[in-house]
Amino acid sequence: MSTTETRRVVTAQGPGRPARPKATPAQRRRTLRETRAGYTFLLPWMIGFLGLTVGPMAYSLYLSFTSYNLFAPPKWVGFENYIRLFTDDPVFVQSATITLVYVVVGTPIKLAAALAVALLLNYRDRGAAFFRSAFYAPSLIGASVSVAIVWRAMFNTDGPVDSALSSVGINLGGWIGNVDLVVPMMILLAVWQFGATMVIFLAGLKQVPKELYEAAEMDGAGALRRFKTVTMPMLSPVVFFNLLLELVGAFQVFASAYIISNGTGGPAGMTNFITLYLYKRGFSDSQMGYASAIGWIVMIVVAVIAVILFRTQKSWVHYSGDDR
Amino acid sequence: MLRTTKFLAATAVTVAGGLALAGCSTGGGAGDGYDPEEEITLNFAFWGNDERAQLYDQAFEAFQEEHPNITINSSFLDFPGFWQKRQTEAAGGGLPDVMQFDYSYLRQYAENGLLLDLEPYLGEEISTDSLSDQILDIGRVADGNFGITTSTNAWGLFSNPKLLETVGVEDFAGGTADDYNQWIIDATKTAQDGGHEVWGASDWTGRIQLFELQQRAKGEDLFTEDGEPNFTEEDLRAFWEQGSEIREEAAFPAAKAEEVFPLGGFDTAQVLSEGTWDNFGAGYLANLGEEYTELTLQAPPVFEEGAQDLYLKPSMLHSVAATTDHPEAAAMLVDFLVNSEESGEIFGTNRGLPASTTALEAAELDELSQQIKDYEESIADRLGDAPPVPVVGYGTLEEKFRQIGQELGYGTITVDAAVEQFFSEMDATLN
Amino acid sequence: MTATALVTTGKPAPRKKMTRKKWQTVVWFVALIAITLVVIYPLVWLFASTFKPNSEFGQNQGLIPLEPTLQNYATIMEGIGGVPMWRFFMNSLILAVAAVVGTLFSSSLAAYAFARVKFKGLGIFFSAMIGTLLLPVHVVIIPQYIWFNKLGLVDTFVPLILPKFLATEAFFVFLMVQFIRNLPRDMDEAARIDGAGHGRIFWSVILPLIKPSLITGAIFAFIWTWNDFLAPLLYLNSPENYPLPIALNLYNDQTSTSDYGATVTASFVALIPILLFFIVFQRFLVNGVATQGLKG
Repeated sequence: MSTTETRRVVTAQGPGRPARPKATPAQRRRTLRETRAGYTFLLPWMIGFLGLTVGPMAYSLYLSFTSYNLFAPPKWVGFENYIRLFTDDPVFVQSATITLVYVVVGTPIKLAAALAVALLLNYRDRGAAFFRSAFYAPSLIGASVSVAIVWRAMFNTDGPVDSALSSVGINLGGWIGNVDLVVPMMILLAVWQFGATMVIFLAGLKQVPKELYEAAEMDGAGALRRFKTVTMPMLSPVVFFNLLLELVGAFQVFASAYIISNGTGGPAGMTNFITLYLYKRGFSDSQMGYASAIGWIVMIVVAVIAVILFRTQKSWVHYSGDDR
Repeated sequence: MLRTTKFLAATAVTVAGGLALAGCSTGGGAGDGYDPEEEITLNFAFWGNDERAQLYDQAFEAFQEEHPNITINSSFLDFPGFWQKRQTEAAGGGLPDVMQFDYSYLRQYAENGLLLDLEPYLGEEISTDSLSDQILDIGRVADGNFGITTSTNAWGLFSNPKLLETVGVEDFAGGTADDYNQWIIDATKTAQDGGHEVWGASDWTGRIQLFELQQRAKGEDLFTEDGEPNFTEEDLRAFWEQGSEIREEAAFPAAKAEEVFPLGGFDTAQVLSEGTWDNFGAGYLANLGEEYTELTLQAPPVFEEGAQDLYLKPSMLHSVAATTDHPEAAAMLVDFLVNSEESGEIFGTNRGLPASTTALEAAELDELSQQIKDYEESIADRLGDAPPVPVVGYGTLEEKFRQIGQELGYGTITVDAAVEQFFSEMDATLN
Repeated sequence: MTATALVTTGKPAPRKKMTRKKWQTVVWFVALIAITLVVIYPLVWLFASTFKPNSEFGQNQGLIPLEPTLQNYATIMEGIGGVPMWRFFMNSLILAVAAVVGTLFSSSLAAYAFARVKFKGLGIFFSAMIGTLLLPVHVVIIPQYIWFNKLGLVDTFVPLILPKFLATEAFFVFLMVQFIRNLPRDMDEAARIDGAGHGRIFWSVILPLIKPSLITGAIFAFIWTWNDFLAPLLYLNSPENYPLPIALNLYNDQTSTSDYGATVTASFVALIPILLFFIVFQRFLVNGVATQGLKG
């Protein structure tokens, strides 16, 4: 067995906290020093966290139990908002449904595409620069109105996508006007902008020590074997990172839906993803209390997913820094 | 333009301070009277695009000549961005001194004390000679007058004469709603048989304004003075049922409408006839491009013979923030923008057909604007009193109505479900 | 068990591997070009449409303009509402550069604390930090606005820049945490034995090693700030202060006639600086990480 074979290492739960039975005075001093250092480094973040995040979050939680139209003071209504969301709001149900589809179907596709292309680009450096920029370019266009103009044009009847598919016999017509194809179209938009995710994978791939590959190759491992035993484990922190972020980001999809539908969530509510719905309720309908309730429901769902992911990371994510 | 840039830039320094001050000022900014010597800065906000911004620059220059001590700091956004901004300002304090205003938000802002009551300034800083009583009445709500109507429009039916000719269809000659439906069916058939991808009209039951017309023809506005709904589920159901005739085949398909969004079937020359507010005509022509140079404008279908269902709606008003430090100066600016000859000359019909007779006379009317003016004169007999100022949340309801109309077009919802959803939404919005 | 010093210098490749490698390279190129074409096509369409006159937008959805014109470029060069185009660029640039500096500074500090310092409360704060990732921004934006307005900071760049210096975007902190955690602790310990405290370790050991994540962070911070729409919309009033995304929208207005030609052209022109930025900085990703230094 090669000395450089990577092994799955079970790390402790959470970042770097070892178990300690009893503290000696020296250890206590060390802890104090560490704590002081920790908080010093953490100071900017702490200020931002308390002032710009916690405060507003608490306020928004309060708002979710009120009816607030931005003009008159908030009026307490208890759980009314939440009850209405779950029992008397078909738009919410539709919105939640299409959001889930978008997240569950779109995220794996986007991650797979980003990883595949990153692997491809990692193969060799010469000539890769041009392609890297090319693949990243779609992400640069951001959330501007032009994305809407371009994407709609792509998916119109007799547009490029329709023509391309028709030429192989698939006659779907325009996607943008077809209520069943709007969500797939939005997924494709997300996938098209895979550049950011790809760049992160690439950074992660670059951090994999070349020696590990060479050692594996010396041992006779083929490309696939090397991928499984070297790349994936070494890349797992980055995979975890991207997975978590893409899931969270997918739940929060807003800008693309807003500009494609011009803020309406159409057609027939098929781009009315949950954050867009929240935004419309809050800013267009001035129902900030109701919007806050939606926001909190989204947060809870996402939090549950994040907790699950963090719990499972023990079994598949390997941090080299935790190797002892 | 460069001079104006420097002029704007030189005064931009005070913006942050100005807003903070506006936010900090306590009781309704009841000025100590206007002093022509005092250097005043007014913040002004409008919605529009680059074209309108340039017109405003010119207007402000003209205003500056008459009142050299008043400097105007203007900012603008597109329509949705404008209202987002105002709402956050309203919540956090600090609306601009003077702003363009929209009818559907008037009640909400007025009832919450965010706007200055302009009643005391009428006849003084704001001249009322060229504004009819009916016009002034429009801004009256919540025991005061909170917006001066700048321009008006009325609902009309546009058609595309060149396109009609191309597909060989005669224009709608007026008539009842059923007549109109029949015309749409025939027109679509003729056009399609001739190989043209053209339809008679879109599903007109997707517009709340037509529901309003139908109700008003029966003598009832949509909402009462107090903001209560004035129609039943039956009324709404009957209205939407009327559309089922054309929704299947004859009306412009929802899928196609979505593809050209935010343009519509009419401005992409796929639809022969479309109802809308009369001042949208200019937008239609611009979007249709050089090929199409004229439109016809006529009255919408009649629901009830002799009914006075149409009305003049303000397409734009001007209002003043309650927190302004310079109410007199603000009122003077409003007067200038609404009443003056200069504003009429500069803006023409960019903001709609001017409500003030002096501005209207000074405005140079191009062919289409003249058509609109003639149209409004021609429907004088059918014009009734304006409905009460829209309820708070009217914008939401209007949008919901439109969305339901779209879903009806797609067939993703039944009329019964649609009625239920709309009433449920109304319940939540109004309470 | 440290990685054995398998430092390979030259590559003595056997003959048959060389031709196979060449063949592989060709396939590689072809695959990449195919993907590029698909991915780039919409952008090419965008570029082509900058030459379309405004009226063509409703009717001609094809690639080639029917009546090519340079009018759109002329229009946007004039700026909007009296404010020249370069002014919008400058605003965007200032905001973006400040964001990069602030973000890298605050996020790396916080990330180091989370990943390398064993302090009391670490677990809780880490979870809290992750928690902020999950927050839909619209929920906190109103309370934040009210607060900044009370401080009189509306229509300044402060509300847009200050949060960056306070690591409010957990994405960057988390990104760096993951990279730092992935670094073996050998060098940390070596430095500590030499008497270095956390500050020294952070500056001299960790920061150089996580360069890829710093570069990545910088790229994202720059681009996201460049494209940010909501915050500038809320906090900035005067057109002279507008960054590009807000300025772009000024060409479009539903209630008057919209100038799609100018919109797409302005978007395209706005794309160029950040594309250049990316091209310049992404080269650093190639050089990878100096784990070569981490031998026994």
